[in-house]
Amino acid sequence: MTVPVTGKSGSGAGAVTWLRRNLFRSPLDSVITIISAVIAAWVVYKTVNFIFVTGRWEIIRRNEKLLMLGRFPEVHVLRWSITAVTLAGWGGLIAGILRARQIASGSIVPDAPFSARRLGDLAARFWIPAVVVLLTLGLASSSGPWITAVLAVVAAIAGRLIGPFIGRVKLGRGANATLYTFLAVLPVALYFYVVDAVGFDDWGGFTLNLFLAVVSIILCFPLGVMLALGRRSKLPLVQLVSTAYVELVRGAPLFVLLLLANVALQFFIPASLAPSKATRSIVVFTLFTAAYMAEIVRGGLQSVPTGQSEAAKALGLSPARQTGLVVLPQALRNVIPAQIGQLISLFKDTSLAGIAMGLFDVLNVASAIPAQGDFRGQGLIGETLAFTALLFWAVSYTMSRESQRLEKRLGVGTR
Amino acid sequence: MIKKNKANKVGGAAGNDKDPVPEDSQEDDAVGGAGPSGGASVADVDLNVIDVTEAPTTSAATGVAAEVFADATEAGGTGEAMITLDKVDKFFGDFQALTDINLNVGKKEVVVVIGPSGSGKSTMIRCINRLEEHDAGRIIVDGTELSNDLRNIQEIRRETGMVFQGFNLFPHLSVLDNITLAPRNVRKFAKKKAEAEAMELLERVRIPEQAGKYPGQLSGGQQQRVAIARALAMNPKVMLFDEPTSALDPEMIGEVLDTMKDLAQEGMTMICVTHEMGFAREVADRVVFMADGQIVEVGNPEHFFTSPREERTQLFLSQIL
Repeated sequence: MTVPVTGKSGSGAGAVTWLRRNLFRSPLDSVITIISAVIAAWVVYKTVNFIFVTGRWEIIRRNEKLLMLGRFPEVHVLRWSITAVTLAGWGGLIAGILRARQIASGSIVPDAPFSARRLGDLAARFWIPAVVVLLTLGLASSSGPWITAVLAVVAAIAGRLIGPFIGRVKLGRGANATLYTFLAVLPVALYFYVVDAVGFDDWGGFTLNLFLAVVSIILCFPLGVMLALGRRSKLPLVQLVSTAYVELVRGAPLFVLLLLANVALQFFIPASLAPSKATRSIVVFTLFTAAYMAEIVRGGLQSVPTGQSEAAKALGLSPARQTGLVVLPQALRNVIPAQIGQLISLFKDTSLAGIAMGLFDVLNVASAIPAQGDFRGQGLIGETLAFTALLFWAVSYTMSRESQRLEKRLGVGTR
Repeated sequence: MIKKNKANKVGGAAGNDKDPVPEDSQEDDAVGGAGPSGGASVADVDLNVIDVTEAPTTSAATGVAAEVFADATEAGGTGEAMITLDKVDKFFGDFQALTDINLNVGKKEVVVVIGPSGSGKSTMIRCINRLEEHDAGRIIVDGTELSNDLRNIQEIRRETGMVFQGFNLFPHLSVLDNITLAPRNVRKFAKKKAEAEAMELLERVRIPEQAGKYPGQLSGGQQQRVAIARALAMNPKVMLFDEPTSALDPEMIGEVLDTMKDLAQEGMTMICVTHEMGFAREVADRVVFMADGQIVEVGNPEHFFTSPREERTQLFLSQIL
């Protein structure tokens, strides 16, 4: 029906032609176009109206700390600022080191340091999370978040600028191991620094969702790969256990598993020994997502032609190296979109932890605050849920964008 | 050098009552005729062969399988055996892919294997480095017998380079990394040493300028030459070529064959499965003709292309030449 026409629509006459060709080609086209336009306009009007006119965002402004950090004691919030700034610097440092090493190994071509293209690239990658962060800061009732955000940006830039100097230094095996250990231990140390102060009873909000997601993602990935390899193993027992695990875990709803971990664990473990609710959530998220990752990775393994492992065999590579150096890298590369999809799904599923486990996560906060004294009876759940959805969307969308970038970098589809 | 009659089992009695090969059923009848006649003409063939053989290679004749082994060790190349296949059988399920394969390849010898598709050529050379497992008989590579012991298999694979029809380069690695992967991980070379050797190999296959590219950026002929360099990087004693030019555009076949000729002239022991008869004629010390999973005829190229003895061979040559 409608045939998109690639042509200049700059001039007025051109625009009219374009409209006629693409939107009003036949009477039916015209009717569809008009109906669609009316629906779209109505949706946009209602949305804009909600955001700028009817929406009462005071509830978000007043409860912002609760939505982000939960009931984190005010005296310890400084720990959060320090953690956020350190993590930003850490991320910048890693990016700088990796880039310098990639340039040194010749896998990427160095670029002018501050070219317009690179700045534009950076803006295109991160403008959505940046806008959401600015929005959140705009609603903040104190100067603390602002100072933290500015310092975090400064730390990230500083890390990114210092990183290449470390990356360019040729390090021995030992020094290299020390560097990586330091970079790996730092976030763990920060975790203890934060949790030491409050524990999971008081930590909540969106940062808890992020924390649950990040830890589960890091843990589920190797487990999923191991299960995928296990399912293809020639050892019958390994194959059986892997297959049984995947089929069993995939068969149960995540919500049920979370409830089980919350309620049924006490039948097996005395209450004094039971792990915290957050730990239990992480275990459930990890085990659940690992089963799905296993199937995705298995699909990836099957997509690698047998000629690849034959060539690796013929070169005399050991079975472990055939898999680790030849087959697995290609398999994982081939299924990046599906893997990232699963991880985005995991990230959003952390919102189940609040209701199922009684954690004070962002959704739990968002459903609870409309019942606060000042706001009771005003029906503000729409506002709080919209804000929650925006937070999840910004992170999910960024993950998706970054995965597309990764795909392009690793040259998916350009064999 | 003594001209020796290389005994080779021709598919006389054994060959004809087995399962027909699905792909070339029309050629089965030809084998049926070839068997008995081959068995009857031993004496004539011997005379013929001795007349035409000048090179220190062997010629084919029918004979008792037991003699094959003893005779073959003295035959081909320098006379010392590099690869020995002794009564090798291979089944895919009920289908017998290889039947009583006896072949000796001497050091520095170039053996070209020809035959119709489905005749077991690829299966035979894939058995040599255990990409396929043989079901009966013995395979000995440079004194090491292929067994189920993984260390044993690894040792043979390290000494055996293989080049595939479909190149099978690793698409996620650069050309240089493709070549250095095995030396660094199997021979435990330092990165620098491995890369220096890889560059030498790329010079040898005449594409040093492609070192930093990825396989997907190269032409088919270049990819296959990288694959040859990759196999050579393990410093193998034997090179197995499994139809290395079949997947190439015609204009690229020459460059790959030239590389293989260089290799042959440098004294590499080679087994090539190929349909390039010109290459066989020019480079081969011996030509092996296979049909229906059996070695039908073995001879030096001149004998082979001018006066093939077996009807089955004659038919095949008449179809392709």
